[in-house]
Amino acid sequence: MSAAVSINSHRFSEARLAEIAELVKRYPGAQSALMPVLYMAQEDFGYLSMDVQQHVADVLGLRLMQVREVVTFYTMFREKPCGTYLLEVCTNAGCMLNGANELVAHMCETLGIKVGETTDDGLFTVAEVECAGACGGAPVVQVNHTYHEKVTPETMDALITQMRADGGAV
Amino acid sequence: MIPSDPKQVKQICFDRIDIPDVNTLAVARKHGAYAFLPTVLKEFTAAKIVDEMKLSGLRGRGGAGFPTGLKWSFVPRNTGKPTYLLCNADEGEPGTFKDRDIMRFDPHLLIEGMIMAGFALNVRDAYIYVRGEFLHEANVMNEAIREAYAANLLGENILGSGYSMHLTVHRGAGAYICGEETALIESLEGKPGRPRFKPPFPAVEGFYRCPTVVNNVETLATVPAILEHGGAWHAAIGVPNNTGCKIFSVSGHVNKPGNYEVPMGTSLKTLIEEYCGGLQHGSVPKVVIPGGSSTPWLTAEHYEAPLTYDGMIKAGSMLGSGAIIVMDETADLIAVTRRLAHFYAHESCGQCTPCREGTGWLERIMIRVENGQACAEDIQVLSDAATHMAGRTICALADGAAAPILSMLKHFPDEVRARALGKAA
Amino acid sequence: MTSLFINDQEVEVTPGTSILEACRQNDFDVPYFCYHPELSVAANCRMCLVEVEGWPKPAASCCTPVSEGMKVKTQTESLKKDRQMVMEYLLIHHPLDCPVCDQGGSCKLQDYALDHGASKGRYAEPKRAVVNYELGPFVNTCMTRCIHCTRCVRFADEVAGTGDIGILNRSDHMSIAGIVEEALESELSGNLPDICPVGALLDKPSHDVSRPWEMSHHKSTCTQCPNGCDIHIESRGDEVMRIRPIAGSPEPWICDRGRYVYDAFRSDARILEPAVRRDGELQSVGWDEAFDRVVSLLKDKRVGILFSPDWSVEGHTAIRMMRDTLFPDAKVAFDLHRRDMRPFAFEEGLSMTTAQIEAADQVVVLGSDLRQRLPLLMQRLRKRGHAGKPVSRIGAMNYRTNMEISNDAIIRPRDWPAVIARAMEQVRDLGKTAAGFDAWLAAVPARHEAGKILADALMAESCALLVGEEIRSDNDAAALISGLDLLMRACGHAETGSDGRNLIPEGMSAQILSSVFADVRVSAGDLFAAAGAGELDAIVVVGSDPLGDGLFPTAATAALDKVPLIQIGSIAGRIGERAEVQLPAAAYSETEGTFVNMEGRVRVATNPIRSLGQERPLWKVMMRLVQVMGGEVPVVSLDELRAAIVARVPELAGAWSATEQDKLLLAPRRNRTSSFTPSKQKHAFDLDVVSRYSMYREGMWVRASKLLSEAAMLHCLDDLLVHPDTLAEAGLQPGEMVVRSFLGETACHVGVREDVSPGVLFVSRRGVAGALSDLDVASLAGGQS
Ligand SMILES: Cc1cc2nc3c(=O)[nH]c(=O)nc-3n(C[C@H](O)[C@H](O)[C@H](O)COP(=O)(O)O)c2cc1C
Ligand code: SF4
Ligand code: FES
Repeated sequence: MSAAVSINSHRFSEARLAEIAELVKRYPGAQSALMPVLYMAQEDFGYLSMDVQQHVADVLGLRLMQVREVVTFYTMFREKPCGTYLLEVCTNAGCMLNGANELVAHMCETLGIKVGETTDDGLFTVAEVECAGACGGAPVVQVNHTYHEKVTPETMDALITQMRADGGAV
Repeated sequence: MIPSDPKQVKQICFDRIDIPDVNTLAVARKHGAYAFLPTVLKEFTAAKIVDEMKLSGLRGRGGAGFPTGLKWSFVPRNTGKPTYLLCNADEGEPGTFKDRDIMRFDPHLLIEGMIMAGFALNVRDAYIYVRGEFLHEANVMNEAIREAYAANLLGENILGSGYSMHLTVHRGAGAYICGEETALIESLEGKPGRPRFKPPFPAVEGFYRCPTVVNNVETLATVPAILEHGGAWHAAIGVPNNTGCKIFSVSGHVNKPGNYEVPMGTSLKTLIEEYCGGLQHGSVPKVVIPGGSSTPWLTAEHYEAPLTYDGMIKAGSMLGSGAIIVMDETADLIAVTRRLAHFYAHESCGQCTPCREGTGWLERIMIRVENGQACAEDIQVLSDAATHMAGRTICALADGAAAPILSMLKHFPDEVRARALGKAA
Repeated sequence: MTSLFINDQEVEVTPGTSILEACRQNDFDVPYFCYHPELSVAANCRMCLVEVEGWPKPAASCCTPVSEGMKVKTQTESLKKDRQMVMEYLLIHHPLDCPVCDQGGSCKLQDYALDHGASKGRYAEPKRAVVNYELGPFVNTCMTRCIHCTRCVRFADEVAGTGDIGILNRSDHMSIAGIVEEALESELSGNLPDICPVGALLDKPSHDVSRPWEMSHHKSTCTQCPNGCDIHIESRGDEVMRIRPIAGSPEPWICDRGRYVYDAFRSDARILEPAVRRDGELQSVGWDEAFDRVVSLLKDKRVGILFSPDWSVEGHTAIRMMRDTLFPDAKVAFDLHRRDMRPFAFEEGLSMTTAQIEAADQVVVLGSDLRQRLPLLMQRLRKRGHAGKPVSRIGAMNYRTNMEISNDAIIRPRDWPAVIARAMEQVRDLGKTAAGFDAWLAAVPARHEAGKILADALMAESCALLVGEEIRSDNDAAALISGLDLLMRACGHAETGSDGRNLIPEGMSAQILSSVFADVRVSAGDLFAAAGAGELDAIVVVGSDPLGDGLFPTAATAALDKVPLIQIGSIAGRIGERAEVQLPAAAYSETEGTFVNMEGRVRVATNPIRSLGQERPLWKVMMRLVQVMGGEVPVVSLDELRAAIVARVPELAGAWSATEQDKLLLAPRRNRTSSFTPSKQKHAFDLDVVSRYSMYREGMWVRASKLLSEAAMLHCLDDLLVHPDTLAEAGLQPGEMVVRSFLGETACHVGVREDVSPGVLFVSRRGVAGALSDLDVASLAGGQS
């Protein structure tokens, strides 16, 4: 799918709309499809601008406020753009006990940014997140929701180098 | 009774876990998946299934430990409304990572359990609510569901039995509270996950105000074994009132963290030393959180306590989701408590006054305590603010938020005071 | 009944009641913030905790139902500490700005802080920052004071139906918010400051103007619409400062029209002194001089009388007595919105109470913009919607209702006969019929599918028809109402007890008027026509403004060009510019008076505010007029007047007894012998004209109110609207064009909207559109390009 075109139009493609119509049928009410549709919107448009939220509301027959409430409640919905690679480090207890804080410090130093920031080249955003549900592999880093477990500063560096080399070719 | 060698017990949820590619239908079937399903669909009645579940003594594995058979028996029949089955795969309780393994390694076990549960409850539409971060697990589940549909294990008229059930994976989006069953229902309705007060209970008025059963992944994954081998078989494993096996997710300062499915009643010490390779430093743990971060802490004193619902209550804590966080003598308890305080402040849904305001307040005081910038009154405030949150809110998140603070104050008062006032060594 | 023990005292409540309600009903004090008896339960403030014997934890009383034998404690040491902590939690982010907060003195947080709070807060951290947002012209927000009780959110969802207030974010970042770019559009928005327990949502107009403790309260009845809500008029001295609903009334809310009209009481438009026109200017004079002029204009003259239905029953009766004594042949009109004065089978007024309408199996709204007309009845229908009960609608425009309408059809007014005929056929096929069906059906050749909606609803056990302005103002209204009456009889909805025939009246006290004036009334149009034709010498207008309201502004202008006007009333309005004499009559806030609302409920105002100027109660002005004209004064005291009222309307006998008053429910008038079939109408023009009623524009009081006039700017539509197909058929583009009608040609701007029925010209701003208000049919032609 060509993401660039969608980002400009801020309107779902016909194919998406068909997919949404199918999705809605799986639930007793159309509002249930809101979260899956927001994920689609985030995938297609990068992030959930007010425009996009209004579009989602229109597509599902909801009021804008119903969409706003959901978008702002859940941390995985983004109202602002973020880097090509979103690096989310769990710093909750299990990972903390296994060096997560040190890992975050190392990553920030390597990338030259603070937690929550995006590198100037737009490639990386570092975030601390809550327990990722993989404490057996602590510390855990999610890269765009792919889990990396038992991460050390060294393996992290290697990963970053690899991603830089890929240069955002997702 | 506990068999003398617990390792000899047939594992229940993890029976097939090490088999390569058992996530595919073909391999799963080769190893017994769905083998007993036709018998259940053709020969079992709903009442018989509920009876077997009651007999099995299975208690919900999501945290509260409510008897599953009993929960199913509360669902009113013939209301004219549909009944829904929701699988709770939100797995957000810090320290818990067991449901993830069932889903990514043996998805067909969960599907089979849900079909059986759905059949017993006369469910047409069932949903698996997977935490948003588990994208891979959701994908694995979806692929397995696709295969199951293709093999007529899901959909209309399953295996010619006349029973039809549809199963949908629904992803959350980063909100711990959505593991709470009524918040999960709200979320699945496309709203913010704010828990509902009870009564009415979901069994009577849940998803879209219809009768609804919410069960944890592990609970549902246990159903096929119970129906195949009988409730009595299951009841014989573990100890009375705490039957069967339980998956413990062990993390923290142990040498071999991971998931271990062991019979109920295995002691904490056995689990840590025999399975997890012991502690990283020292011989006894400083603190063990036995059931996920929301449960009160245990110290070395309870190292030999049996891992059962009752045993943990007796020791002053709870079995919770079976997520055991082990801290050895190197752990900075105050930093851990502060981090957990942050977690609850971040995850409070915000509706109840004590939880909304209290969690943030606790975190802010804990930051000062950790940095040695607090005063004596702060310690009293920590205690007051935590005490008056617990048990006074719509859901139990506030209790969970209070637990680490109160545990810290209870077990390590001197350490806290010294650190808070900037007098730590 | 369930019996339980509260603080060891046994009480009985209906099963399923919450512990909190049980406490409230039995005067046990339990503090709470989020609970509101009219809203759904949220149980989020956690202030209402109580202890129940045998329960391990305290329970939120608002969401815990009682059970038999339950033992509840509301005052224990531990609860005291819990409440103190809830207060402490709430206050950690709350600003300490009580001295400058309008809510000060009526703030739950402030009160409870005294009753339940600790002496000092222990929060030492930074307070959170929050943004304010736009909630329309009447509500100020100061969100730092918000305690997140979510009452406003539930109000917007459940009562206003707009749903535009929501809860954003979570944890202690959670905030109550509106849509930033859009102002809340609700005709009930003024209730928001009332339900906010703290100073987060405040009344914008009274911001910084007055403090709660300075006010004196006057119980009264709002006459701004026929719902006749109970109101407290709050005044400082003689000045009306605020109007608020009264707790425990049939409606807990009032609408923005009734609330914010208060600035009209002290507006420049008030008539506060007698005045006469000299050299083209109105000049203040004494009562005697004014009456001299009246006598010279009216003595031995042919007089027409037009008055507003909104006066008290005392006022109306006095007008009638004045007429009978001085001008026994006078034409009298009080309805600016009715063209057909033949007796309707069911006259103005509701047969049902609003509670019965809320509970009926089916409700069908026929030709009414109910949200603008009767915002509180609309709110009741919304409640039905929440309870899953259907509301259907047929009309010329898809009026915004803020609820989901179950069955909806848009039609042209000229289709009504075909709609009703279609319904008759359907119910007849199902074996329900009435004696007049055949004749009625024979008179109507066409059938319209929208009739199915009506017929389907009529098959229910109970069905309420709400017949609105589109039918009532029809030239052939008596026939349409006859048809509806037949349908209701056929389907068993016309018996006393389950009478579902409700004709939405124009103005208060309508059912009384149709009794007191039935024999002498004419349409306002006829009255103006008579004046225009030289059959009258003068017109007396009592509190009405035919130039600004109603269907006859052109006719009224023509009439007033011919004959002098004597104006009696509280507000001058547009027509004031034409008055030869003005006599001030007291406003509804300033008189003792009796009012009958559309349900037939009786309300008596007993505690008036003192007059601002020289205005006198209308009945006194009338009696004085009789006297100066040399007639025999029929009554000299309020008691005599009320005796005379009872002689005319015996049902009102109990009206002035505090114990009887609430039991009175006056039934609207029925004309059993009235039966009309539709006449063969020839429409001279192809489009039906329908005028919008705007609650922010209609009525003299409202136009005298700055606050409401400002709100009207926010709620305006294009002047003239048609369906896109209508324009397409005429080969026209939206924009400037010509409206052709019996008045000739008028240049207008016409916009398009899918919501308007094809074939309808929708006049969305009556008054502004001026002459077009007189039209019932018109056509469009290309502009002068
Ligand atoms: C704050 C909170 C979070 C919870 N999170 C989870 C969770 O992530 N997964 C889960 O299965 N149950 C969770 N629960 C428990 C559920 O509310 C519910 O009891 C459980 O899903 C029922 O399933 P079971 O009977 O099979 O245990 C949570 C409860 C609370 C109060
Ligand atoms: S206790 Fe906390 S998380 Fe639970 S409902 Fe209340 S505010 Fe939400
Ligand atoms: S009134 Fe019960 S929780 Fe607010």
